[in-house]
Amino acid sequence: MKDTIKLIAVLVIICAVAGSLLAWVHKVTYEPIQETERKVRNDAMKEVLPQYDNDPIAEAVAITADGGEWTFNVARMGGKFVGAAFETTSSKGYGGNIVIMVGVNADDAVQAVKILKQKETPGLGAKIEDPEWRAQFNGRSISETKWAVQKDQGDIDQITAATISSRAVTEAVKQGLSVYTGNRAEITKAAGEAK
Amino acid sequence: MKFWNEVIKGLWKENPIFRLVLGMCPTLAVTTSLENSLGMGMAATFVLLCSNIVISVIRNIIPSKVRIPCYIVVIASFVTIVDLLMNAFAYKLYESLGLFIPLIVVNCIILGRAEAFASKNSTMMSVADGIGMGLGFTLGLAVLGIFREVLGAGTITVWGDLKMTVKGMEPMLLLILAPGGFIALGLLLGFMNHIQNRLSLRKGKGYVTPPTLDCRHCVMCKWGEE
Repeated sequence: MKDTIKLIAVLVIICAVAGSLLAWVHKVTYEPIQETERKVRNDAMKEVLPQYDNDPIAEAVAITADGGEWTFNVARMGGKFVGAAFETTSSKGYGGNIVIMVGVNADDAVQAVKILKQKETPGLGAKIEDPEWRAQFNGRSISETKWAVQKDQGDIDQITAATISSRAVTEAVKQGLSVYTGNRAEITKAAGEAK
Repeated sequence: MKFWNEVIKGLWKENPIFRLVLGMCPTLAVTTSLENSLGMGMAATFVLLCSNIVISVIRNIIPSKVRIPCYIVVIASFVTIVDLLMNAFAYKLYESLGLFIPLIVVNCIILGRAEAFASKNSTMMSVADGIGMGLGFTLGLAVLGIFREVLGAGTITVWGDLKMTVKGMEPMLLLILAPGGFIALGLLLGFMNHIQNRLSLRKGKGYVTPPTLDCRHCVMCKWGEE
């Protein structure tokens, strides 16, 4: 019995010390972690949006559509709507979800796309991250483009030997764009009201 | 110099990857490039060193019945600390290693050294063991990482800026995929054993396959000792 109490006491003390140490480290690192996360998202938005001077993260428009939650971050220049960025996810990749950030501009064209997260095969599907491949999305009109890979009679050039990954990205972009088009009025109006 | 002996043994004689064959999960997962290998090696070395120090300090107050839970708490705490610190102050490193850091908790090397060494030796010796084993692990990962990256992707990358491309060959993609990890590890283990055998032969003690080859009778890891 005495032994058992000693065992429990030692374990409790060790866990308590470890726990308080962790709490302290967490407290010290909490701010810098939030800051870097913000910075990373901000950098991604700078890449996919036209030039802006507001804080798109602060101006998020939440929309429920197509069986999911969508967040559109609105970019403005001098109070005028210049574009919006949103994240779209595809579950049809070769290795888990692909998360893509898409930026659209005020002319209803895609500004740029950026792959935020992917676990495709290195050297094949992972080429969806290559800037050369992503560049073909830039400036494409939302309504006049056939959002499918060429193999499916679309306009997007698929990567050789990585049709599945290319198709997954294209379809996710298409889905996101249709949500954007369907809710365009609300997204741009929210931008106007904020100022 | 007992201290240095403990450090050096981790590099070759008891190299965690090639001799002890411990910590295979992170080894196979991260060695797709030299950069990942070095990052993982350094993070594991740091955790190993910290846990060795703490465990050797408190080794006399831990009752043997609950020693494993105590080790796990100590190790998991350090891993979480590394995870948080890296996320806050070295984001670039965190981006490429973020997935693998939690793997350190279940890295057999760290628990293995806590159980086999730090719980029985003085703090000074445990520091030496931690450094030696950590460097040995890093070295092993780096060798595998170079092998796989050069042959599998045709590049050598260190921290993204120093990227060299090996010219004049078609990369063998298989090597940076999961099966390639096993193949590369097997080839390198065979190569290390071959060298070890040569060294033993030179001393006049060649390796003879035991009649009943199983884990209890295999003495591969003991060659050239004494």
